[in-house]
Amino acid sequence: MIQIEQQRSFIQMRTVLKVVDNSGAKKVMCIQALKGKKGARLGDTIVASVKEAYPNGKVKKGKVVYGVVVRAAMQRGRCDGSEVKFDDNAVVLVDKQGQPIGTRVFGPVPHELRKKKHVKILSLAGHIA
Amino acid sequence: MWAALRSNSSRFSPYSSLLEQWKLGFPSFNHKLSSSSAISNSTGLLELQEVEKILNDVRADNVKVIPGKKHCDWADFTVIATGRSTWHVRNIAQALIYKVKQKQKGTNRLVLPSVEGQEGGKWIVIDSGKVVIHALDEKAREYYNLEDLWTTDTSEKEPTQDLEKAMVKIRRKNNSKKRAQKV
Repeated sequence: MIQIEQQRSFIQMRTVLKVVDNSGAKKVMCIQALKGKKGARLGDTIVASVKEAYPNGKVKKGKVVYGVVVRAAMQRGRCDGSEVKFDDNAVVLVDKQGQPIGTRVFGPVPHELRKKKHVKILSLAGHIA
Repeated sequence: MWAALRSNSSRFSPYSSLLEQWKLGFPSFNHKLSSSSAISNSTGLLELQEVEKILNDVRADNVKVIPGKKHCDWADFTVIATGRSTWHVRNIAQALIYKVKQKQKGTNRLVLPSVEGQEGGKWIVIDSGKVVIHALDEKAREYYNLEDLWTTDTSEKEPTQDLEKAMVKIRRKNNSKKRAQKV
């Protein structure tokens, strides 16, 4: 049986993403990708609505929040020619100024955040891919 | 759930060499190395001693320097400083950028370090290649607790601590009035 790799695409409206910080939300649904006509990629900011949340967290279900995509199933090219892709779509919630709402980030985050000026999230992360 | 790196030329590029290539590929610094080699001696935009001196002048509280370890190995040093108010935090950031501008007086092209969080004023990060400076105010420092994160080097998730204990079969506690079912 020949296995063909799935073609991954951008993060757009109605995409459900996992939340990987301790801000209290579990799943958010993207309602707008702030930059890019086709959608958001790794390292971009999105506007999302919280769909699932922990009971006592800083954000509640139904709140509209901003988020930075830290893991995307779509591959992103690096300057040396290699590509990075992850198994899931994950986001870290931030406020309008770009300050992360949570205090810790779980799972790996890519280097691309440094160039995209998200050094704060990189510094809160445990593992940098 | 981990990254899959696919490179065109080699089968598997080890982590450190990728990091080196990525560091050089950072466009502004690459340019800086070539243009200013005749003028200034520093390879980064800010040196650690200069940063410490400026932070002393600005009277930032609680300055901590953390050398790059396995957590922050993308920067040689990480500096954390506290400001007494948002205005003070912005002042620290401005003083550092002023210093960088002064160092580059002769060149025709200014390369500035990237600044994040300038409008909010609660947490400003200045990324200048070798040295990354975090300027926070008191509340933000408590809230994010960055030293805890970086100085305790152990990984935070404790995976399978007591694997043996978890696999042992324990007789169920019978709290109900019914007698335990006889097999």
